[in-house]
Amino acid sequence: MSDVAPAVVLDGVRKTYELGGQPVHALRDVSLRLPRGSYTAVMGPSGSGKSTLMNLVGCLDTPTAGRVVVDSENVGDLSEEARTTIRGTAVGFVFQTFNLMPRLTAAENVALPMLFQGVPSRQREQRATDLLDRVGLGERADHRPNELSGGQRQRVAIARALANDPALLLADEPTGNLDSETGRDIMELFADLHAAGNTVLVVTHERHIAEHADRIVHLLDGEVEREERVADPRRPTAPQRGGDR
Amino acid sequence: MNPVESFRMSVRAIRGHRLRSVLTTLGVAIGVAAVITFVTLGASLQADVIGEVSGDQPPLMTVSAGPADDQPGPPGESQAVFTDHDLEQLRAVEDVAAVVPQGRVPISGLAAGGRTLGYNRLTATTPESFEYVATSGFSDGTTFEQDAREVVVNEPAARLFPGNVSVGDTVGVVRQNGSRVNATVAGVLAADQGPFGNEALPQVYVPTDPFYETRLDAPSSESPQRVYPTVTVVASDFSAVETVQGDVQTYLDEDSDARTLKPKSYEFRVQTVEDLVDQIRGLLDTFTAFVTGVAVISLVVGSIGIANIMLVSVTERTREIGIMKAVGAQNSDVLQLFIVEAVVLGVVGSLAGIVLGALGAYAATQYVDLAMTFPVEWAGIAVVVGILVGVAAGIYPAWSAARTDPIEALRYE
Repeated sequence: MSDVAPAVVLDGVRKTYELGGQPVHALRDVSLRLPRGSYTAVMGPSGSGKSTLMNLVGCLDTPTAGRVVVDSENVGDLSEEARTTIRGTAVGFVFQTFNLMPRLTAAENVALPMLFQGVPSRQREQRATDLLDRVGLGERADHRPNELSGGQRQRVAIARALANDPALLLADEPTGNLDSETGRDIMELFADLHAAGNTVLVVTHERHIAEHADRIVHLLDGEVEREERVADPRRPTAPQRGGDR
Repeated sequence: MNPVESFRMSVRAIRGHRLRSVLTTLGVAIGVAAVITFVTLGASLQADVIGEVSGDQPPLMTVSAGPADDQPGPPGESQAVFTDHDLEQLRAVEDVAAVVPQGRVPISGLAAGGRTLGYNRLTATTPESFEYVATSGFSDGTTFEQDAREVVVNEPAARLFPGNVSVGDTVGVVRQNGSRVNATVAGVLAADQGPFGNEALPQVYVPTDPFYETRLDAPSSESPQRVYPTVTVVASDFSAVETVQGDVQTYLDEDSDARTLKPKSYEFRVQTVEDLVDQIRGLLDTFTAFVTGVAVISLVVGSIGIANIMLVSVTERTREIGIMKAVGAQNSDVLQLFIVEAVVLGVVGSLAGIVLGALGAYAATQYVDLAMTFPVEWAGIAVVVGILVGVAAGIYPAWSAARTDPIEALRYE
């Protein structure tokens, strides 16, 4: 079943926060399936529940009700430790603000998720180098984040997200801090990774970013407003590499 | 996570804040240095004083009788209760090489070189005394003979008289009743140093016979015998000291004349050089412990510094903690990272402190003119303390780091 099991299943998920004694319904009854190899975008205005959805899918949080299944594991049933492990192995995060460790080199940042899974250092270094090559940053491996451009930092972050070969690549506004040209390059990289078989979930509020996906899930007030098939996903033609700043 | 990896990451973090890390480390370094300095100074002082007291001492013990609840220490006014019979019995104890009585002969003055000086006490003893008790050696002449009108003076006593007295001179002993007895100077003892480096007091020694006249009826013979307030028992060698000490004590308590002559509330004390050294050591230990205690305060301040900086560091790196947790760091990994970091600070601080402390101790011992005795075990203790300080100071910050909610942490600016 593992081959056909979806990467992520959300089944009647509800998430309620207490804020100053008042319950806040961040998500109400959301159901969603991300089949393996799919490319999905979640869109919605702020306050629609995008971040909450991302935290749940990313195993950072557990639902108040319903089931969140990531890589065949019901996240709500897991201990904190097991949840941390699945987060480290089954999910690769890409953040708007890159979130690299400032004192580690690009290669060390990429190797970080493997470090926490106890991968031996030789193997870590080898895979980090391979991944940086794959995102076009092979020659920048020894640079620290502050010596890299925004686009390069996001490439390092994407390489890091791939470190443990996750079931899901989870990107939160991945182009939000980049100029449009660099943003396009990054989206092109996601398209490549999707083409190579990775499952991708992009959370964004920008339509032109969402249109890179096969499917757009529109969130509004904590509910799925509608799902939209993208008939002709934006897929940059004639990939160009290394042009980002 | 592998502790080696934690160590590498921690060193990275420490080097990322060089100045701050140096200042934090300095707090611990100064604390450890203060402790090491004072402990070394104490140990050096102790080694010096004990070396003076116990250096080249024969295996002897001092026997005296004093009030039972008297404070420990060198015997003060001991009562004259040890009879000639007791001396004889003590000489028969196994492994006893010599028994040397000592008594005070109260006088009015001494006359020599045409002058009479007020001087109130002679020390009556036997020639063996110069072999075992007053061992500084003769700078001139030799010991007196028993049954002879001879005296031995030490150099400070020889200098009391105009033009000094020397071997062959006649010294007049003025008794308390004003009568005068002449005696010949048989020898001059070399100047000796007291245990604390001060010059010895003037001493005039005379043979017990004929000068010592303190007598009591001895219970063993029911006839008057000389009685002495202190007796020095010399064992044949150091290994025998302890048994001899026990045997002497047993004889005194069970069979001696002194047992019936001493007041009921008095006790016999058989004190070896070792006992005296122990007392001095105990005294100096107390002193060292006190000063070290003061120094420990600065070590505590130093470790609070580490705790403080670790707390700041955790707050400052909230976002990094969030990142690490997002990519799969367990709470235990985060805990380990921060504790290792604090321990590294503590250990580096204490290593620096050992060096600083050794330098400080060297300077201090030079200043007070002592040979430095570096207590090596304290270097080990300092490293252990460094680790403990690190763990103690790091445990709360590390715990609060481990508990950080990754969602909140990633949002943290």
